[in-house]
Amino acid sequence: MDTPEPLLKIRDLHVGYGKKPILRGASYDVVPGECLTLLGANGSGKSTSMNAICGFVRPSAGSVLFDGQETAGLPPHRIFALGIAQVSQARDLFPDLTVEDNLRLGAMRRGGKELAQTLAHIYDRFPRLKERRKQATRTLSGGEQQMVAIGRALMSRPRLLLLDEPSGGLSPQFCEEIARIIDTLKEDGVTMLMVEQNLNLAFRAADRFIVLRDGEVVDGGDVRAMAGDHDAIVRNIYL
Amino acid sequence: MSQIMPSARQRKMRTLLFWAVPAVLLLLPLATNPYTQFIANGMLVSVLVTLGFTLTIGNLGQLAFANTAFFGIGAYSSAILAAKLGVPWLLTIPLAGAFGALGGFLASAAALRGIRTYYLAIITLAFGELMRWAYLHAKPLTGGTDGMPMPRETLLGISLTDDTLKFYIFLAVTVLLVKATLNLMRSHFGRAVMAVRENEIATASLAIPTARVILATFMWSGFVVGCAGALFARHVGHVFPESFGMLHLIASFAMVLVGGLGSVLGAVLGAVLLTALPEYLRAFPGMEELFFGLIVAGVLVAMPMGLASLLRRVSPIFVERFYREAP
Repeated sequence: MDTPEPLLKIRDLHVGYGKKPILRGASYDVVPGECLTLLGANGSGKSTSMNAICGFVRPSAGSVLFDGQETAGLPPHRIFALGIAQVSQARDLFPDLTVEDNLRLGAMRRGGKELAQTLAHIYDRFPRLKERRKQATRTLSGGEQQMVAIGRALMSRPRLLLLDEPSGGLSPQFCEEIARIIDTLKEDGVTMLMVEQNLNLAFRAADRFIVLRDGEVVDGGDVRAMAGDHDAIVRNIYL
Repeated sequence: MSQIMPSARQRKMRTLLFWAVPAVLLLLPLATNPYTQFIANGMLVSVLVTLGFTLTIGNLGQLAFANTAFFGIGAYSSAILAAKLGVPWLLTIPLAGAFGALGGFLASAAALRGIRTYYLAIITLAFGELMRWAYLHAKPLTGGTDGMPMPRETLLGISLTDDTLKFYIFLAVTVLLVKATLNLMRSHFGRAVMAVRENEIATASLAIPTARVILATFMWSGFVVGCAGALFARHVGHVFPESFGMLHLIASFAMVLVGGLGSVLGAVLGAVLLTALPEYLRAFPGMEELFFGLIVAGVLVAMPMGLASLLRRVSPIFVERFYREAP
């Protein structure tokens, strides 16, 4: 069977903050419909990789090709408009706005019937958000806020969804809920790139993984091929 | 505390109440004397000034103090158009608003360049002082220190010096602009304004053109306050540069805070209270400033979110869309 053309191609990406290099020539692909997880110790360049894809940091060298179009150096709003949405580690919600307002902000560029349909779809996916649609987002639990953040990203109908530590700060029970959410997104054919420190969740949800160390890709493969033997990867990440 | 949003029935009641208040106010001239009528007219001018101010400082969250500049631009535009070009005063109201919006466009330049907080405050304060300097020195156009008298004019055979006639015109303009602002702030645009205030970078990352949102808010604020300037010019009959200094700015700022920062209802309440209060305190000669200060401080200590928060506690019909409740 032919390998599908990658939706996202990262080639020899170099990103740094000031004089400190974080990514040093990372290269990887994300193919349509898969969930790829980036693994690595703190400071290995996982979140920086996400931020470079979204345009929050400008790469010093290398290429970010999204569906054949070079996006390195484009401002975040242009990249978002192309179809890349990120759920950041901080979630970046608008705490004083209601759940529904937060969701609608994710689709400000579309209006009318299309927006209403997408909103209804998000509520079908997250019934708890429908119950709380008139509530200020700051009054929700951490897990519910994460649902709002994911829902808001989905409101833009992204072709690539970036999830930066979706289980960050959540209870084990809610981590399982996040895993279920990712499963349903995969069933719907949403392409995802995820950074996750929780290896159980990462391996439960992802199709493929890559390991970053000191800003370079040092390992990678198919999650199913690991057959639950993750020790080698853990050693590769942390030792 | 989470805000309870009004139900559909309560929203209908709110609409009814919105139109009932000006309807009742139509009868006000029957209960006033020339002095109290003059004060009531001044209140309507202050409502618009406070409304424009609260949009930029409260809703958009920009520490911008160009409000008095927009007010002066509106007043002088109206006076110059009426006195020098013979434009009927009524027609100068939207034109003064347009010049105020132009002032808003200029004032937003600093905010669009990423200047924020105290730096933006100083730059916009300087803009206001620069405008006052212009009123003083562009003597052939503005009359310099002598100011600009408004020409005598009649409408439907009634002189525009008549305070009752002015009241009805001021009321119509005020209701129109308050309603337009409420609608604007309840729209997608209002949601974007609130989002910019809460997290500009996150808003931009959602492909919302934050620069355009900032620019449009400043321009609408300038338009509203510019219209207020035209009303003010007719209200006092003579425009002087001294009317557009720091004292006016501080008074407007106090109205915004006493009413409730970022609240349209608060703008109305703050303007009405702080325009009326000094007049009532005239009954206590020598103690006016003391009582005024104590009352303002008392309101802010008891209700940090302003008078509007009191009404919101009474009924959800006073809860405004996209209004930020106390943290």
